[in-house]
Amino acid sequence: MSDFTTTIGLEVHCQLLTQAKMFCHCSTDYIGKEPNTLVCPVCLGLPGSLPVLNQKVVELALRAALALHCQILPQGVFHRKNYFYPDLPKGYQISQYDLPIGVDGFLEFYSRGVKKKVRIKRVHIEEDAGKLIHEGVFLPPGTSGVDCNRCGIPLAEVVTEPELSSPEEARDCLMMLRNIVCYLGVSDGNMEEGSLRCDANISLSSSSLLGVKVEVKNMNSFRSVYRALSYEVERQRKLLEEGKPIFQETRHWDEVKGVTVSARGKEGAEDYRYFPDPDLLPFSIKGEMIEEIKSELPELPLQREERFMTEYELSQGEAEILVQDKEIADFFEDTLRDFNEPRMVCNWITTEVFKNLKELGIDISQASITPAHLAELLKMVDKKEISGTIAKSVLEEMFATGARAREVITRRGISFISDEKELENIVREVIEKNPQSVADYLSGKEKALQFLIGQVMKETRGQADPELTKSILIKVLSSEE
Amino acid sequence: MREVISLQELKRIAQVSKLELSEEELQGFFEDINNVVSRFEKLNDLDLQDISPTSHLSWSEPPFSSDEPRAGEGGEEVLKGAPQVANGYFVVPRVVDKEEKENEDRRV
Amino acid sequence: MKIEEFRDFSIGDYHRLFKDKEISPLELVNLFLERIKEGEDKIHAFLFVNEEKAKDEAQKKAENLPDELPPLWGLPVAIKDNICTRGIPTTCGSKMLENFTPPYDATVVERLKKAGAIILGKTNMDEFAMGSSTQTSAFGPTYNPFDRRRVPGGSSGGSAASVCSLEAPFALGSDTGGSVRQPAAFCGVVGLRPTYGRISRYGVVSFASSLDQVGLITRKVEDAITLLEVVSGKDDKDSTCAPYPPFGRSEIPAPEEIRKLKVGVPREYFPSGLEKVIKTKIQEVLEKLKEEEIEIVEVYLPHTSYALESYYIVAAAEASSNLARYDGVVYGLRVEGENLQDMYFKTRTLGFGREVKKRIILGTYALSSGYYDEYYLKGMKVRTLVRQDFEEAFGKCDLLITPTTPSLPFFPEKKGRDSYEMYLNDMFTVPSAMAGLPSLSLNCGYDEGLPVGLQIIGRPFEEGKLLGLALFLEKLLALPSPFPLFKEDNNE
Repeated sequence: MSDFTTTIGLEVHCQLLTQAKMFCHCSTDYIGKEPNTLVCPVCLGLPGSLPVLNQKVVELALRAALALHCQILPQGVFHRKNYFYPDLPKGYQISQYDLPIGVDGFLEFYSRGVKKKVRIKRVHIEEDAGKLIHEGVFLPPGTSGVDCNRCGIPLAEVVTEPELSSPEEARDCLMMLRNIVCYLGVSDGNMEEGSLRCDANISLSSSSLLGVKVEVKNMNSFRSVYRALSYEVERQRKLLEEGKPIFQETRHWDEVKGVTVSARGKEGAEDYRYFPDPDLLPFSIKGEMIEEIKSELPELPLQREERFMTEYELSQGEAEILVQDKEIADFFEDTLRDFNEPRMVCNWITTEVFKNLKELGIDISQASITPAHLAELLKMVDKKEISGTIAKSVLEEMFATGARAREVITRRGISFISDEKELENIVREVIEKNPQSVADYLSGKEKALQFLIGQVMKETRGQADPELTKSILIKVLSSEE
Repeated sequence: MREVISLQELKRIAQVSKLELSEEELQGFFEDINNVVSRFEKLNDLDLQDISPTSHLSWSEPPFSSDEPRAGEGGEEVLKGAPQVANGYFVVPRVVDKEEKENEDRRV
Repeated sequence: MKIEEFRDFSIGDYHRLFKDKEISPLELVNLFLERIKEGEDKIHAFLFVNEEKAKDEAQKKAENLPDELPPLWGLPVAIKDNICTRGIPTTCGSKMLENFTPPYDATVVERLKKAGAIILGKTNMDEFAMGSSTQTSAFGPTYNPFDRRRVPGGSSGGSAASVCSLEAPFALGSDTGGSVRQPAAFCGVVGLRPTYGRISRYGVVSFASSLDQVGLITRKVEDAITLLEVVSGKDDKDSTCAPYPPFGRSEIPAPEEIRKLKVGVPREYFPSGLEKVIKTKIQEVLEKLKEEEIEIVEVYLPHTSYALESYYIVAAAEASSNLARYDGVVYGLRVEGENLQDMYFKTRTLGFGREVKKRIILGTYALSSGYYDEYYLKGMKVRTLVRQDFEEAFGKCDLLITPTTPSLPFFPEKKGRDSYEMYLNDMFTVPSAMAGLPSLSLNCGYDEGLPVGLQIIGRPFEEGKLLGLALFLEKLLALPSPFPLFKEDNNE
């Protein structure tokens, strides 16, 4: 019988969206570039080189720290973290130690429909190291290669308190954190490309047993985080049940094998001999700057999610999906301006729009369809001018060609029957076939009219001009009175 | 000379600094360094409790850099002059473990 | 023309010759190159003589004499080998960088070039600037031109010796705990260490970042002024460089104003260990100043005797981190190994000399977990006390006068000589460096052919007053400029 408590803390690194690196003017656009082409004396750590802090790094980090409700320290101080590794040209990393940019914040998120809160221990800034590649086509056998393009890229590190109680929670927390940094324009939060990285500390404890903290690294997607931590929970639980010890160590997640593996080497922490970096003078973080950034903070994912729930009466699940991607959420709200049916718009976005985006392999920002266009289409559906099925295929074409709904409809020959005479005949047919609805309408039920319009649309396979249909119906019906 | 740092400790620190010292060198350093370090103890005469440390000589707010990317100078030359290069990478002996930061125990 | 004609020259004199067409830049450079050839196997001040490029540069200038000469136009300059010069080897006196040629110029070098100077060569130094005698260079020591059995001081020994022997009209050095002032004193020349942050450190290979400053070594105070105007001022490549405009000579008070300055003499700088000759010479100067009606007051710097220890901890700690980049990966020496760690160990063990290794170990120790508070933190706190001492003293006076060194130029280290004794050479230069204050060493006399240095220390960014008093004293003392002969029989 296992009644163990899982405790998880996360350490998340986000690459900050600056144009230039943290301490030099090299470009940060390193993905796909030839190795060692975005370098200079500073990020190569050449003798005599010196760092100068990129102002934008502070702005972005402050944005993140404030969005996470942190206390901002009045002075920014950098420390050197000293260790030897080939991807670290200076033999030390410029980081922050006991005076990080922000402390004592919190993050709220939903996990399984329940709102959770985890405290943020600290947010600090530091430079990224280079990339190491191991043996392969490019390198002589028995060697590794160093690419310094990534050296000096600015990172914000966010550390949570160990307050997450399941792998699921950890994943959901990470997703919210990612959404926040994306919303803020602070990072593009891409785990696959490495602009968002996550390490976790996990321990299992019971009423009689203190937990042993195990560090888990190399989780490269949200799913990996969930899987790796789930595996760890199991592994540790089994050990505990068998009365075996759990070592305080670092373990790597092996995505392919689906297991964590002990990383070779040390027990106990390496001594990084932190001391204040003498090349970088402490700088003040003024109240005005903090206030300015605070006032410019956009609506954050959680607030937006909750607003969608209250304002648009969407479920938490629906709201969450919309809010994941700021641009989708924006698209959603922009569509509502022209067509105010939140549930319907939400539904269409999360099913058809998403489907089209996936098939085309694009983001909403790259799509040729605008919120107005979508609204236009949905209005037609709503008015039963066209059927839902037809609308779906129209949408597909709109995505492919960028054409507006009516264009597509015309082009396809789903022409509206706008000939009055023809329509009138159909209308009379429908009236004949639906005496009850006629009676309902005549006794004042407006909804019956909609129904009759719908019937006309059905008869015409969605091709009747809805406005005209309505006016003809009314005319005919009123003459029936 | 007072022994403040033991021979063992000295070996460990040399290790951490990636320096290999022969027994003879170690012995020489042992005396020399302890001589220097034992003199630091006179700093204990001072009452430093309420003194704030000078970590920087800071006459004013430091300059910030603008977020403008520029082509860096010297990359090509550095690659040309590097100890070993292949296909644009700086080549080192195979790094055994991706996260390896500590050296294998080969001396102490 | 002959090189000895330039014995008492300052920059303006050379420019006059250029303007009067009495000499061309190429002829001038050649004279210095000959002088170097004459002297080098005797004093070994240079590690690299930039012969070809200097001649080319001089030739180009000769063909194009501008109406208005930029401040250093046509003048050759020697540069300490820890200052990066593009395309010219920069070794820091170490095997580690024996084959390193920087792909960029230090800011100070850029500024020198812009002002028209020609790089004559790179000078010898204690390895990575750690030392007071230029004995720890991996490429052989430098000898004192006044007496080649003695040391020229360090770590900028090569620069000081070259200027002393007129192998170069002036030179750049670097001063961390006295590395410009002490060799200047031992070589009878002017050595200026400006306020910390006055001159950019970009391109100056770091030893101890919070203490390193580029220093100017000249034969006349006037040249130090010109040089300071050229190289000082804010630099957006160095965060520790103060965001102020370059020094301007208008900051120097007129002689009448100089007379009104109060000079403080800290009694802690006249301990019993101070060589009698030096004490006497300094006192003579103070008497002369009194005769000129300059007020001399006694001041106290009570924490002076603690400064040296705290300096050594702080400097070694910073150095241990600054030298971690020398690992054989991207540049510099690499010694192949069986694996990565082996490569690190072999490279660093072979690449660094004993003194450097010692300081790295000391520094690593001081920063280690468990020892940080005891050593590094304490060192930083004592630094605060040293600064406070000076602040208080400067409440009573404008400038301080002290000896530069406790002894005359000494004989090279005998084997087994205590490190600590060597460190004591810096006892008068370290405290002002800890406080980041501008200070200058000026020759104030000779004792049996050996120069005696006098140090002036000023308030932060008051190089004007400092140089003003130095000019005043230089004129007052009217000492002969050094010009050691290089004949074989000259051993004194």
